[in-house]
Amino acid sequence: MKSMNLLAFAVCSTDAALREQWPFPCGDIDRESIPVMLRRRSSQAMQLAFSAAITACKQAEIAPINLPTLFASVAGEIQTTDQLCHELVKADGVVSPSAFHNSVQNTVAGYWSIAHQSTQAATALAAGQKTCAMALQEAWCQLAVQGGDLLVVCYDERWPDYLAPGLGQSAAAIALLLTADDSRQGLARLGRPQRLPAGADSSEPLNFCTQPILEIAPLLGIVAAAMPSQNVSVALGSEWAVSLTI
Amino acid sequence: MSDFDPKETPVMMPTALLTPIAIPAFQCVTAAGDTLDKLYSALIAHGSCLTTLDLFDVPFDTLVGIVKTPLPIPRSALKAYDCRNARLALKALEQGDLRHQIATAKQRYGAARLGVVLGTSTSGIYDTEQAYAHMLAHQTMPDNFDFLHTHTAQATAEFLSKELDLQGPCYAISTACSSSAKALAAAQRLIMADVCDAVLVAGVDSLCRLTLRGFNSLQLISPDNCQPMDVNRNGINIGEGAALLLLERSHADNAHCPRLLAVGESSDAYHMSAPQPEGAGALAAMALALKLGGREAQQLDHINLHATASTLNDLSEAKAISRFFINPPPCSGVKGLIGHTLGAAGAVEVVICLLAMQRNFLPGTFGLQQQDPLCAIPMLTQPRLAQSVKLVLSNAFGFGGNNASVLLEAPE
Repeated sequence: MKSMNLLAFAVCSTDAALREQWPFPCGDIDRESIPVMLRRRSSQAMQLAFSAAITACKQAEIAPINLPTLFASVAGEIQTTDQLCHELVKADGVVSPSAFHNSVQNTVAGYWSIAHQSTQAATALAAGQKTCAMALQEAWCQLAVQGGDLLVVCYDERWPDYLAPGLGQSAAAIALLLTADDSRQGLARLGRPQRLPAGADSSEPLNFCTQPILEIAPLLGIVAAAMPSQNVSVALGSEWAVSLTI
Repeated sequence: MSDFDPKETPVMMPTALLTPIAIPAFQCVTAAGDTLDKLYSALIAHGSCLTTLDLFDVPFDTLVGIVKTPLPIPRSALKAYDCRNARLALKALEQGDLRHQIATAKQRYGAARLGVVLGTSTSGIYDTEQAYAHMLAHQTMPDNFDFLHTHTAQATAEFLSKELDLQGPCYAISTACSSSAKALAAAQRLIMADVCDAVLVAGVDSLCRLTLRGFNSLQLISPDNCQPMDVNRNGINIGEGAALLLLERSHADNAHCPRLLAVGESSDAYHMSAPQPEGAGALAAMALALKLGGREAQQLDHINLHATASTLNDLSEAKAISRFFINPPPCSGVKGLIGHTLGAAGAVEVVICLLAMQRNFLPGTFGLQQQDPLCAIPMLTQPRLAQSVKLVLSNAFGFGGNNASVLLEAPE
């Protein structure tokens, strides 16, 4: 595989200021993206991830049922986990069974497979500040080895303030529909993520790094501008970069 | 031959065979002890390693698989990563010649060509719970609480990568109880896609209040030693552990090492915490592992079952096996010995399968006395000695209907 072909992308955030900031469309949560049966149990993370993912699938005209998925998040179901942790340390704390099984990092991946009756492989990945770069790395490997299409969703809900002060303030999801098939009409070709040389001045400081999964936004800004370009290296945070051809 | 009905085959991608990956080194720390010799002895002695829980209080009775020996503390430069999970990982790294083997691979390939993929379900949450107890008492998190270096799922992967000064990709797969089986899949792909020449795969999970009380809220915790596939089964026992496996591109120098042939991955698309009753997802994962590994069902010598001793899991897995195989190979499950190590289970139990290959035995199923007639598969209750073991499947199934089946082969 020479490159990953980006067929579509969609972005979603609960943060109105953030939605205005992007040079590409960014929606709010679309509750219709979650089947009614699952809606009442859905976390902010799930609502965001589903909203972006369904939009990307529609844009690419790809049905989710046969699509393998890769859901990447720094903190996963942190609001549910936070609520459970408060209960766990109280003498009379109550642990709800559904809160427990909805606290796993693959909660969104699991409900997505249920909602769309997809029996394909579903993966939940986490890589801290490098979550976007490692999600694209894992996506590259899956497509290079298995071929086909892959839905990648990077998402994080709002983190409680006291966990990592200054971080996790914005809640957002970014869905990418990638394929190994180079013959299809796509928005851009992405290379394999490469580690930047140590001490490299990767890019201008990003003003939205309060949420690590947004480090993929500059790349999408370039894709949205649709300026023809060849093998431009675009930073994914401070340590990794990916080459982009439009 | 298999009686698997192709009409039930889930839609799958066109699939080429995967490339076998060598496993030149592995170590594992569990309730059965810190070394491979201790683990082997426990498997042969076939006595439970489960004990009462003394790490923290829970409002119910159960037995757990706890690592009893003292845990090492990360060196001061990496103290931000210090938590029970990192300590368990460091303990496994210190066993045998694992560090030396990793250093040799690093010298051979370069630090940038060595990756780390961790499978974990709860990462450093045992320590997060202590921080919340502090917050309850003092209204603030403790000063030394470090969310991104202990709590989040990648933390212990980063710790290992920095401890070993590796420069390759580093991330965690966190899909509940299939996490580290899927980490093996990710590692195989990193090597096949020529991103890495070697990958350190880790499966690490620590005992914590969240999983003990969480599984208890689901009414799945056994007050006694668990009894996988037994008609009198009464729930699961939670364990903890760290398994580290060095995976390396196959070449003449590692031709004597066991191999990871393939990992079959699937989703149940059924329920968040209950498996598909007919075992459809489990079946798909096993079928895909054999297909991707280029092996036939009748070549298998053994299946290491997920067999948690929860009724729904046992019935679903047994159904999958009896639907897929005309003559299933001998099956067993080890969770009655060391507990269910959750996100670490995939890697821990792959280590047990590799030991079985290297030392010519099949593990038994501690706790199994009277087999559930609804689980009509050939179960080994006792270990079987002097048994040549060449080809093994090891199952790991998790919440979200997330399934992985690992196919391993002994060297020629």
